[in-house]
Amino acid sequence: MIISRRQFLTYCTASAALLGLDWSGLKSLEKALAATNGPTVIWLSGTACTGCTVSLANRVAAVDPVTDVGDLLINHINLVYHSTLMGAAGDQAVSSLKTAAAGSFVLVVEGGIPTAFGGNTCTLYYDRGKAVTALDAVNSLASRSLANLAVGTCASFGGMASASPNPTGVKSLAAATGKPAINIPGCPTHPDWVVGTIALLLAGQVPALDAHGRPAVFFEGPGRNVHEQCPRNGMTEAATFGQVGCLRGLGCHGPETQAECPSRQWNNNTNWCVGANSVCLGCTESGFPDAFSPFYSR
Amino acid sequence: MATIKIIDPVTRIEGHMSVEVTIDRKRVTDARCTGTMFRGFETILNGRQPTDAPVITQRICGVCPIAHGMASVSALDSLSGFKIPDNGRILRNLTLGANFIQSHILHFYFLAAPDFVAGPAMAPWTPAWDGDVRLPANDSIASHLVPAIEARRRAHEMGAVFGGRMPTAHSFIPGGFTAVPTQTDLDKFRSQLGWLLDFITNTYVPDVQKLRSFYSDYLSIGTGYGNLMAFGVFDLDASGSRKLFRRGLVEGGRKGATGSLNLSRITESVTNSWYDDRTNNLSPAKGKTVPLYPKKDAYSWLKAPRYNGKPFEVGPLARMWVNGDYQGGISVLDRHLARALETQKLARAMQGWLEQLNLGAPVYSEQRVRTAGSGVGLTEAARGALGHWVSTSGGKITNYQIITPTCWNASPRVGGSDGEDDDDDRGDGSRQTLGPMERALVGTPVQDPAKPIEVLRVIHSFDPCLSCAVHIMRPKRAPMVLNAGMATGLGVGVPRC
Repeated sequence: MIISRRQFLTYCTASAALLGLDWSGLKSLEKALAATNGPTVIWLSGTACTGCTVSLANRVAAVDPVTDVGDLLINHINLVYHSTLMGAAGDQAVSSLKTAAAGSFVLVVEGGIPTAFGGNTCTLYYDRGKAVTALDAVNSLASRSLANLAVGTCASFGGMASASPNPTGVKSLAAATGKPAINIPGCPTHPDWVVGTIALLLAGQVPALDAHGRPAVFFEGPGRNVHEQCPRNGMTEAATFGQVGCLRGLGCHGPETQAECPSRQWNNNTNWCVGANSVCLGCTESGFPDAFSPFYSR
Repeated sequence: MATIKIIDPVTRIEGHMSVEVTIDRKRVTDARCTGTMFRGFETILNGRQPTDAPVITQRICGVCPIAHGMASVSALDSLSGFKIPDNGRILRNLTLGANFIQSHILHFYFLAAPDFVAGPAMAPWTPAWDGDVRLPANDSIASHLVPAIEARRRAHEMGAVFGGRMPTAHSFIPGGFTAVPTQTDLDKFRSQLGWLLDFITNTYVPDVQKLRSFYSDYLSIGTGYGNLMAFGVFDLDASGSRKLFRRGLVEGGRKGATGSLNLSRITESVTNSWYDDRTNNLSPAKGKTVPLYPKKDAYSWLKAPRYNGKPFEVGPLARMWVNGDYQGGISVLDRHLARALETQKLARAMQGWLEQLNLGAPVYSEQRVRTAGSGVGLTEAARGALGHWVSTSGGKITNYQIITPTCWNASPRVGGSDGEDDDDDRGDGSRQTLGPMERALVGTPVQDPAKPIEVLRVIHSFDPCLSCAVHIMRPKRAPMVLNAGMATGLGVGVPRC
């Protein structure tokens, strides 16, 4: 079901505290949502796996009304460029991108930005007789955008493609461009973190960020430490895999990880990693994966 | 006069791809498929603990991570000689099955259908090349976009019941599975599966069948070589000798002539790839990767996997043909139909597997991954045959090689000079043979070379996944600037796929 802007606003009101929205923010949000098309969004993929886009498509609001990725695209943002979702291809897609880039837009980047070899290990499109690298594309766009959103751990911190020996010199969006970015990590990221951050921006508010550039509401403080929130905290340790218990002895990285997975859960409140007896991998942290590899201690 | 059209980016696929087609008298006469991203996963894996591999390889692709998890744990099981408890085998199958369903629904409604049906008149669906829309604007396929969003999401919710979280799930470990199923889990899974089977049967399959009545010409477009291969998937017993989709191959589109598959006949050619010809035709278990750039006639970082020296197409159509489940032909629409019918067959089978779970029985058997040796994990991703080859020594990974489905399908041509008329129509490897997707593109009618929607239809029918396939770069027309330093830097680890 595609919901109306009014219903989306109702959702935001109901979850205002969770999103960090105050009354004036809600008023601005209402105004922003009254605009016809929503803000223009250019979504580029660097050294991505598309997992964060797929995860975004798992969006469904925790409270009534139901709002999902279709609602987001149809009612709230004007997503002019996203290579996995867009109708246009080739020169027509490039033309859409250039038109959007000439106006005001929000830049979303999924995947890291390779910098070795002139950035040529990731080219995004063909323009004026040559392939344009992800490095050139983000550098041209990040300085002119309304905001830069790094979606997923790769765009936020480099992530898996930057793991040792970092074969293609992958950097985060902020490091590759030298421009500030809001980091929404997770491998993949949680759809609610992306939608929640976009809702704040629609309301004209810049979310408070933690020391790693992450929206503090989702990542900061002892209440966001995975181990401290974990329902298995204090349980007997599992002796081996396939057992229900605290997974510390198997290598669980919950104590070193800031995220709200134990409370928010994943896939419409279905489960989370530890719920399936699989260890927390630390995937929202800036050191992921190398700081947590080997992932298992047995 | 021939026109050369470069489509970059090819959109509505996973990952980065471009294609260059030569169009002469309104037909495609040549095609070169090019992937435009490389990350170096195989290098990243070297020197790590083997049990890291299922975690890391799931990051190759966010659309088919579960298949990489399955291939990786299977390779480590094979390395270590593990026997998997029945519950572990079934839980792996159910979670992988859930991801097949989400991937196929995602592919049809979001990636492929916009080639045939006008999407909502707004971004990101519009603008689009709209030269050959034959269904009425208010057709139900477009209106099913919204229920398809829910269906795809529900398939992931179903996978998370045992997987923990989707799209990536770390319940796949060598020796079995981590989740311990409860009655509540079974009920949740069963309820989602019932809803999905209803959607597949009453919406997805009829929508694809309807497409056939409006676009019947696409039953003879994009035919390709007719060489089909499946590694097989969904083991039905502990030995894996019985599978829902069996291992095997079909040559030249000959029905009822399914051959068995001998792994030692898989080699990778590099004649038109930027690798040293001295590494030509090696088996993946002994694969070497020595980049060489520039190189005459090369236009791709993808090596070209071949079986008995011949190009093979992989994917749902190959699985369904090899299994004797599909009675149609080989074409753009046959690929879509086989994919939909496979989804239905799989969902029905999963209902049975769910009831075979034995609550309270083990899901994992306590075992140690062997510190030295080698193993192979063969399975299927939604888009085709997937293989992981691993070697370890001293408890560390010493070599990890991956051949993905899109590597088979989007591989470059092999052999011969770069002449105009030396394509080998028979695909028997005697002269220059195009990659399967390139071959399927040749002959495609194109109404308007400025808006070659027909080319996208052929490409999308293969459901390409370029993050998996990794790497080809710009053809010789606009050579990428690479220097010797790059070749040296990548020498250890340019993944072949």
